[in-house]
Amino acid sequence: MAMRQTPLTCSGHTRPVVDLAFSGITPYGYFLISACKDGKPMLRQGDTGDWIGTFLGHKGAVWGATLNTDATKAATAAADFTAKVWDAVSGDEVLTLAHKHIVKSVSFTQDSNCLLTGGNDKVLRIYDLSKPEAAPLEIPGHTSAIKKALWCNGDQQILSAAEDKTIRLWDRTSMEAVKTLSFDTSVSSMEYVADGEILVITYGKTIAFYNALSLDLIKTVEAPASINSASLHPEKDFFVAGGDDFKLYKYDYSTKEELESYKGHFGPVHCVRFSPDGELYASGSEDGTLRLWQTAVGKTYGLWKCVLPGNAQILRFPTQDSPEIKA
Amino acid sequence: MTTPVSVLRLPRGPDPNSRGFDPSSPRFIALCAASIPTSAASAADPARLQEEQRARSVLRESFLRCLLSMSNKRVQFHMYEKVKVEATFGASDIDVLNFQVSDLQTPIGVQKEALIRCQDVISYCFEV
Repeated sequence: MAMRQTPLTCSGHTRPVVDLAFSGITPYGYFLISACKDGKPMLRQGDTGDWIGTFLGHKGAVWGATLNTDATKAATAAADFTAKVWDAVSGDEVLTLAHKHIVKSVSFTQDSNCLLTGGNDKVLRIYDLSKPEAAPLEIPGHTSAIKKALWCNGDQQILSAAEDKTIRLWDRTSMEAVKTLSFDTSVSSMEYVADGEILVITYGKTIAFYNALSLDLIKTVEAPASINSASLHPEKDFFVAGGDDFKLYKYDYSTKEELESYKGHFGPVHCVRFSPDGELYASGSEDGTLRLWQTAVGKTYGLWKCVLPGNAQILRFPTQDSPEIKA
Repeated sequence: MTTPVSVLRLPRGPDPNSRGFDPSSPRFIALCAASIPTSAASAADPARLQEEQRARSVLRESFLRCLLSMSNKRVQFHMYEKVKVEATFGASDIDVLNFQVSDLQTPIGVQKEALIRCQDVISYCFEV
């Protein structure tokens, strides 16, 4: 009996969701943070989408959000010219880092000691979180606004994508660009997969995979519509992509074959990411929602339940909060 | 003819009255340093701290002993939504998030084996 995908809709944001990130797998499961133009990033339980808390403090649209590996810290980048670091357990604001323009991207090192920021002032900054009053290390070079900045190669190098249609690989110690990739159009998203050193880039209708160390092209795949974000499965058997036609596409990474496409969002998809265990992927859209999608449709996981014909339903005790069905 | 995958419930949305980060959640209690009210106060009086820690240990020990004595006894659980059920208590998990019970008597039948989610329980009683 063929099963049809049932996406789980996470409501709560009132404006477009522009960025999302998963934490690593912690003893309490894994977590998801969403950046929204309403200025209120939210933390959710990764496998169910249940809301845990909202980080309150930014005075403008939040363009970027990230969690450290054990989900104890969160960082956000906003249009109020600040990046903020938060305690992701209590929800308290820990640090505000003032910038000279809109901040678009934030990224923690593996040890959570340093934060990389990038934004419209075209400069990459590295903050030492143990010395927050100290001035950050600054790496200029891009000639337009930076859209995304990520640590790579064991936090020894930095990858940055900007509106100047380039992706640059920087060495942390020398603070110089060691490689540059140029494109005909601005890159819409970038994902770094540490295990295997793969860089996933999207531009126009193309999803491209590069070696993150050499920046050599591995392969490209063309989608039916303009793509805003793509994510590679941890086991590298699938990748998913979403863009301006509101749909989510699932592809086989080895054969580049389009396997499935899913409708559900009511607006362009801005971001999509696989969970750290690869069992689901989350998408954020212009419609203000996040949706969770199963990798293996029909599998019992999180809130999805495989009900075999003839089996009794599980007994559920009603809880205090009844689910709200929102249109 | 495709069947949509069943879902237990929808993801919980934000609470309109608070910013969340429930201080009673297991993660908060385990990871937030200042879970002892006295230690949270910056000028922690060591004598008061010790006294509070002793009281906590006594309470914890008696709670654990209570769980032990409940083993294999019939226990009545009072839960939200005016739910009252009875079951034979088996065990608790380490974080006291779930109770394993047998022969759970519910208004719609007897469930041979079940897990009761502790956060759904308001109170329980049993005969010692």
